[in-house]
Amino acid sequence: MIKALLSHCLVWLLLVAASVPAPVAAGDSVTLGVFAYRPDNVINERYQPLADYLTLETGMPVNLRVFNQDDMNRALAANQIDFFLTNPSHFLVIRSERSLTGALATLRRAWHGETTGSIGGVIITRAEREDINRLQDLEKKSIATPGLTYLGGYQAQALELVNAGVDVRRHNRMVFLGNHDRVIRSVLSGDTDVGFIRTGIYEELLSENPNLAGELKIINPQQLRGYPFVLSTRLYPEWPLVSLPHVDSRTVRRVASALFALEPEHAVAQAAGLAGFSPPADYQSVEMLTRTLRMPPYDQVPRVTWVDILHQYRNWVITVAVLFVLLVITSLWLGRKKKQLASEERRLRSLIASWPQPMLMIRNGELVDCNRAAVDLVGYTSEASLLGKSLAAFSPHSQPDGTPSSQKSEALFARVTAGEVSQTEWLFVRSDGARVWVAMTLAPVYEHDSDIPSVLCSWHDITRRKQAEEQQRLALRVFKNAREAIFITDAHGVVMDINEAYTQITGRDHKSAIGSLPPMPVDEGSAILVAANRHGVWSGEFAARHQEGQAIVLNLTLSSVLDEQGELSHFVGVFSDITRQKEIEKQLRIMAHYDALTNLPNRVLFSDRLHQSMAQARRQNYRLAVIYIDLDQFKPVNDAFGHDAGDGLLVEVARRMRSTLREEDSLARLGGDEFAAIIVNVPDAATLDVLLSRLLTVIAEPVWVANHSVEVSASMGYTLYPQGEEIDGDQLLRQADQAMYRAKREGKNRYCCFQDADA
Amino acid sequence: MHRRHFLQLTIAACVAAGMSGCSRSDPLRTGIHPWIGYEPLYLAEEFGWLPATVQLVKGQAASDSIGGLISGNLDAAALTLDETLRVLAAGVPVKAVAVTNVSVGADVLLVRPEITGLSGLRGRRVAVELGGVSGILLFSVLERAGLTSNDISVVDLPVNEHIRAWQRGDIDASISYEPEASRLVAEGAVRLFDSSQLPETIFDLLVVTDAAASRQPAAVRDLVKGHFLGLQHLVRNMHDAVYRVATRQEVSPDMVRQSLANVMLPELLANHRYLTHNGRLEVVAKTLENIMVREGLMDKPLRYEHLTDPAFLPRSLP
Repeated sequence: MIKALLSHCLVWLLLVAASVPAPVAAGDSVTLGVFAYRPDNVINERYQPLADYLTLETGMPVNLRVFNQDDMNRALAANQIDFFLTNPSHFLVIRSERSLTGALATLRRAWHGETTGSIGGVIITRAEREDINRLQDLEKKSIATPGLTYLGGYQAQALELVNAGVDVRRHNRMVFLGNHDRVIRSVLSGDTDVGFIRTGIYEELLSENPNLAGELKIINPQQLRGYPFVLSTRLYPEWPLVSLPHVDSRTVRRVASALFALEPEHAVAQAAGLAGFSPPADYQSVEMLTRTLRMPPYDQVPRVTWVDILHQYRNWVITVAVLFVLLVITSLWLGRKKKQLASEERRLRSLIASWPQPMLMIRNGELVDCNRAAVDLVGYTSEASLLGKSLAAFSPHSQPDGTPSSQKSEALFARVTAGEVSQTEWLFVRSDGARVWVAMTLAPVYEHDSDIPSVLCSWHDITRRKQAEEQQRLALRVFKNAREAIFITDAHGVVMDINEAYTQITGRDHKSAIGSLPPMPVDEGSAILVAANRHGVWSGEFAARHQEGQAIVLNLTLSSVLDEQGELSHFVGVFSDITRQKEIEKQLRIMAHYDALTNLPNRVLFSDRLHQSMAQARRQNYRLAVIYIDLDQFKPVNDAFGHDAGDGLLVEVARRMRSTLREEDSLARLGGDEFAAIIVNVPDAATLDVLLSRLLTVIAEPVWVANHSVEVSASMGYTLYPQGEEIDGDQLLRQADQAMYRAKREGKNRYCCFQDADA
Repeated sequence: MHRRHFLQLTIAACVAAGMSGCSRSDPLRTGIHPWIGYEPLYLAEEFGWLPATVQLVKGQAASDSIGGLISGNLDAAALTLDETLRVLAAGVPVKAVAVTNVSVGADVLLVRPEITGLSGLRGRRVAVELGGVSGILLFSVLERAGLTSNDISVVDLPVNEHIRAWQRGDIDASISYEPEASRLVAEGAVRLFDSSQLPETIFDLLVVTDAAASRQPAAVRDLVKGHFLGLQHLVRNMHDAVYRVATRQEVSPDMVRQSLANVMLPELLANHRYLTHNGRLEVVAKTLENIMVREGLMDKPLRYEHLTDPAFLPRSLP
């Protein structure tokens, strides 16, 4: 009935509206869009009275259209709606898309006499689900929800769960069902574990089906005094009623006043379950909610531009920029400095590398750097072959002082790394085996990246000096230790230096010898200096006198020494004492010419004297006689009394014969018991006969040998010189021998003169 | 996101590390009692915005908090300005670190309907919590009415006992505040005078002892920040907050809305303004002190350098 009446009125009003000219409304009718959070028919049934009420109150036909969210969006895009009523989340999305100013009014709901302008979310599950009691229990559960853009059907619960540490958007299976009734059905049927619905739905369904209370339970219930519905979340402002910009202000005013005039007791309000409309609420809390959840329209992360940053952090930006510029400048400056340093370093490096003196760097006992000269000195081919080796690798096993090279070098490095600068001489062995003497200077070099200093080592090749020193030492040793006396004089022959042997030979000590003349032959004197100067050398033997007086014989070689200009600068003399040598020579001469037993000249000297006497006789024109004497019966004496007795006999007979002869005559023992004599200046035969007879007499006298008196005789032959023809000494002696044999044959103890028949 | 915030945290961390660890273990014990101006702290606690460094010690009336501060059981408390001065007078050095609310009619003089003017109070029994802000209101009222405390019968009674005294007929007037005031109104009491007639005089504060402020500055900062977070929820999400406050105070949401109408809840910037040295708060404190000394509520003038310290206010809120 009422409906019919209302529709009648509506038609009437439409007619009135049509008759009124344009400014009343954009169109003849006003369209109110209502979002269907429950099935369309339910919404239609509830809100048609409101549309009718508005038609009546405003005098404009108000058409009710019920939409789901997508359809409402499309209708809004097409400007087919003038007013709409939807949930706050959806309102925010639309507002951001359409640049709406704000809500016209906020819905208030009533339930059993209590009214509220607040909406929240309810989390339901089946009563028998023992495992779901707290928000945290929702982790990984499947969840039914009407959709994302539902404040009480999704967003309110999502925030509580986020605060409880459950991120439903990531870890839960969400089932989107379009409206709340399906959510409840889904939970009841067990399709999903949990359902999200808005406040009020539960109570509405409960009134239709009271059994639900036993089948469902509420998670995280909030016991809020004065709030008529069960609730699981915090509260937000209820649905807004919004006018669109194209609706003229008069229409808006009329609708608004009609809405605010609606009392809770009004039939229209009762039908829709409304308690009327209040002035628009502050939807800031919903905005914060969607911002927190990053849901539309706040799903975009706010874009922060550089200008924003600049405005917000101006001081920081300026500071950072200044620091950056400083950094760049510093970097450039450092880069240039580095380049300069690098070229400086290259220059130094090439300088060191080409420096003629060998230089090396040693760290921890190993070569880390060296120059070309060092490589050449040890005879290697490249620097690389040297690096990493120790000094001992180029050294003989031990240094000349006997210390092993490795031990010595370690001791050296220990001293240097302690901060000392050290100098030493070192022997290296080149790769070809040659030995190199080096004067080595080691100095510590403190590098910034190491506590232990490296060792800078420079070498100086002193091999030639060492060799010269060696030669000098040898020469000095020769000078000092020579058995020959050596002296050096100045150009005038004054002694400057002598050796030990000089003192020994001459008896003059160093002090007295220096500054005086060296020993010289008495007769020649300093003439030998002149000779040595002229010929370069003089040598000769001469007699000199020892300091203590005894005579010595010296053999001197004197050489002149010229200076670089070829002028005489020194004389060097070498002499030896040949005194003993001379004596030995003399003895040897005696041994060669005399018979050792009788001390009479032997055959050699006899022959020599015979020659001299023969020559003298010819020169002075006198005669000489050669006598050959052989003892008779000498062998029996020897046999009977021994050789000593024989020798005694010979010595005694020789003495008697010698003493019988004149001084100028010579007697020689030719061997055994044979003697020979040269009688010079024989005036006549008679004199000779007397001499020969006396000889026989002295020989025949008894001789006391070996306690026995022995008597021997002698047979003698003689010959005279000169004879008719020239004759030599040997022939003369042979003639005397032949004459002696005739005397033997004629009965011994006599003498015979040579006759040609004897030959 | 916020470099400046990060820097603060770093500095705070350094400062905290610089201090000995002893302060870490004990939370800042903060006395609190039901009052609309303190609701942000309750909300903060309910939503978990108070870290473990802060512990709310819930009393029934302001006297609990005052006693706790004086005995040393509490490190901080939510108190009115005059209560703060009483604590100072008792020899406990405290400072105000936040203004929770400024009363604009929250403290109210309720009378039997037959009393129609302030002069009608002469000879009446007036229930008042002398130790609280109500005393200040009483003396201000008497001053306006041209009366002295000798002209009326002062019944010193905690606010929560007024309702029963009223019901028994023991008192003719009550100086009260929400939520007790609403209950008295429901019993037929009539508002005769409220603090909105004494603008910017009745401050509610968060105070901390000087010792706690120097020992646990981070916890004090947490407390103040918790208050502002709760306040933010109360303002932004009043649809939710009113129900929660109503639930706790066991009154209807509409009563809560009414209570909120009687207080100004100064936000962060306003707090900075109030807490400035020699700002409004310290000026009012000086005036109050003079009244209290004059009325014998305090023995002698206080000696302190500064009552306020804005250093613990958060620089910004999310």
